[in-house]
Amino acid sequence: MSYCPPYAPFFGFAGVSSAMVFSTVGAAYGTSKAGIGIAGLGTFKPELIMKSLIPVVMSGIIAVYGLVVSVLIAGGLTPQGYSLFAGFVHLGAGLSCGFTGLAAGYAIGIVGDSCVRAYVHESKVFVTMVLILIFAEVLGLYGLIVALLMNTRATGEGPCL
Amino acid sequence: MSAQVAPARVVDQAANGGVLIKLIIFSLSLAIVPISMYFGSLKYVWNGNSTYAAMSAIFAANIVLVSYIIVSILEDRPAVATVDETKKSR
Repeated sequence: MSYCPPYAPFFGFAGVSSAMVFSTVGAAYGTSKAGIGIAGLGTFKPELIMKSLIPVVMSGIIAVYGLVVSVLIAGGLTPQGYSLFAGFVHLGAGLSCGFTGLAAGYAIGIVGDSCVRAYVHESKVFVTMVLILIFAEVLGLYGLIVALLMNTRATGEGPCL
Repeated sequence: MSAQVAPARVVDQAANGGVLIKLIIFSLSLAIVPISMYFGSLKYVWNGNSTYAAMSAIFAANIVLVSYIIVSILEDRPAVATVDETKKSR
């Protein structure tokens, strides 16, 4: 059994696509769920719309995390000399970034929806909302850090014997 | 009553127009800045070390987020000041 079978890039490309796809699913959920609350707020207080769009911007950042990890992993894929170990490492990196982005986007959506609805009635909820959203965003950042750490293990020439 | 409402409406429309421009600028920067930062720093700053380039891109994306939060907080301040002035002028 060779260390570099021809099906090894399958796992690498699966890592690239899973990083982008799952983090985008999380970002889409966050954007849509927060957008429901923002539409509710916009009918009562349209001057608060710029502040209430912060959950949407944070969901966009989650998608940017997935994008950067995809580009990072795709930069390390080669047709020849690509070991199965590198394929699994890239798959793990993509999945860790993707699923943590899904979790972070889910949290941002629910928190953003509830907090912008409360912001109509009480303006001091704004600081609380930003703090909770930052904690939810950091979940995606942890997945990105693990993906970066894993990706550094896959660089270098694999022993293709 | 209408004399007080009309300037408020003009200020509202000016504020709404400014909001759209700001949102467009931030959307474009959130799309363009991280990826350009990744490829730019990969080529010119870090000499091919892709991990540091990814960290720079994420740092730039978070800078865009923080600047958006600051701009949205600062947008409120002048509106509060004009409301106080109209209350004092009565």
